[in-house]
Amino acid sequence: MRVSVNWPTTDYSRVPYSIYHDPEIYALEQERIFKGKAWNILCLEAEIPNPGDFQICHVGDTPVVVNRDEDGKVYAFVNRCAHRGAEIVREPRGNGTDHTCIYHAWCYSRKGELTGVPFRRGANGKGGMPASFEPKQHNLQTLKVESFKGCLFGSFDHDIEPLEEYLGPLMVDHVGGLLDKPIKILGYQRQRIKANWKLYPENIKDAYHGSLLHEFNRTFGLSRLTQVAGGYMDEKHRHSILFQFSGSDSDEVALRAYREAGVQRGELMKLNDYDMVRIIPENDKGMSTRVINLFPNGFFHQIANTLAMRKLRTLGVDEFELTWTLFGYEDDTPEMTEHRLNQANMVGPAGLISMEDGEALELVHRTTKTAQNEYAVIEMGGVGPIGDRDTRVNEVTVRGFWAYYSQLMGIAPEGAEQ
Amino acid sequence: MERTAAMTFPIETRLLVEDLITRSAMLIDSDALEEWVASFEETGRYIVLPRENRDLGYAIALIKCEKRAILEDRLTVLRAASKFNPHVDRHILSRPCYMGIEGDIVSVQTNFTIVQSSLDGVSKLFCAGVYEDRIRVSGDGATFVERVAVIDTFSVPNLIATPI
Ligand code: FES
Ligand SMILES: [Fe+2]
Repeated sequence: MRVSVNWPTTDYSRVPYSIYHDPEIYALEQERIFKGKAWNILCLEAEIPNPGDFQICHVGDTPVVVNRDEDGKVYAFVNRCAHRGAEIVREPRGNGTDHTCIYHAWCYSRKGELTGVPFRRGANGKGGMPASFEPKQHNLQTLKVESFKGCLFGSFDHDIEPLEEYLGPLMVDHVGGLLDKPIKILGYQRQRIKANWKLYPENIKDAYHGSLLHEFNRTFGLSRLTQVAGGYMDEKHRHSILFQFSGSDSDEVALRAYREAGVQRGELMKLNDYDMVRIIPENDKGMSTRVINLFPNGFFHQIANTLAMRKLRTLGVDEFELTWTLFGYEDDTPEMTEHRLNQANMVGPAGLISMEDGEALELVHRTTKTAQNEYAVIEMGGVGPIGDRDTRVNEVTVRGFWAYYSQLMGIAPEGAEQ
Repeated sequence: MERTAAMTFPIETRLLVEDLITRSAMLIDSDALEEWVASFEETGRYIVLPRENRDLGYAIALIKCEKRAILEDRLTVLRAASKFNPHVDRHILSRPCYMGIEGDIVSVQTNFTIVQSSLDGVSKLFCAGVYEDRIRVSGDGATFVERVAVIDTFSVPNLIATPI
């Protein structure tokens, strides 16, 4: 496939709107990114703890079965029958010794090997498969699977670098910190956003919008542009973390700054119950919020005391699904669990600091569709070389996404920043 | 939920319960949310729970207000800070199914669908689910002790801002 993208600048400070809408780009992304040299988040080990446990996950738009075998190892294969292409596993999760397609009952092991073809030798001496048919040649397509501290990643590229190398020291430090002790799954939140998938990692890497779009953040000091904060990336600029320290500014300073910027209309709002925004210190870095993107489809957050792994699946060029898997730790007290459950009011599709993202992304997707020769402007935090910044008034991390994405896609302009 | 007995609810009780359920749908649809919140008792709970979490025994909700004061907070934020798709909701309710009665608290389940319409007049099915209500019926009327909206549409179309 030959796809070319017209980048007006080499530092990705202009992003052509066509990149969110072009079906050929979408098709190429499936090949080069989701099925290419990338580690995709599948699920958490805690979701499939026992031998035989399986879950359906998606890598881009490809359905994948992730399951645990008798020896405790996790295997993943494409959920598409080698006979005529039917979906094999139809439940979102469960437990089984093997997997049988309902159409003609071909049977597969947990490793994705074809183990049974009914009437392969025919019936009453008639019919059946030709002698040349070799079941071993009809195993399901498998993914390479690795776990990082209980988070399972898969790659279609069996020669990809080891997972920890792919994550890099910064992500190993932060994601590793969140997964440092046994976790307990608290449940799921899901949403379908009618926007191109790339708008989501962009949003997660966009520190600038955090308190302008989400006014709840601003009011309760969970995220304010006046705070001590930062946007850091791994050395390839594909992963990112945005963080801040609540309490590093004062309500007065923040109020004045937002008033001067013309975006604060009245006083900060008041609540009956402040438990929802209370932070029980639990990480040694003292960060009140950390939002992480693991290229291409994975995300982690620590927002006050809510913890979640989020994963994205593409549903065509115009839609994606986001799954939030909220978790706590096995050794949480009942009070801490209750606190995490209550703070989940802030996140997910009904979250007081997250519902706006879906809306913003749909707005962008809708109106850029008819402006595919025009460009987004990404200059907050400066133009030119891509690097870390110690502020939230910053979009350089977004340019980092485009730099790595373009390299992987083979669409980077001559002399592009990396 | 299992029904506790052959149901012989007094007709007056049924009328009060059904009036609360239908009125609460009308109040949400007409954006009279402050009035809707007032139909909860002070300790009244309001929870929006994805069906998959219910089935898996997970406690994570989409909205979890453990008392009326917290539901009021959600409304404060909705009015002052939240940004979402401007829309009109239309709740379509089934007849309520009476599940049990304990003292003056009636347990009742009502199926609902919510059709959401954009401001340019396009309507879409937004949510299907069931209200699992516990309603106190007394001399002065009926109030919510608890409303759990279990939603089948748990892969939420974009976002939930206004209450279910
Ligand atoms: S398509 Fe699966 S057995 Fe025929
Ligand atoms: Fe956001």
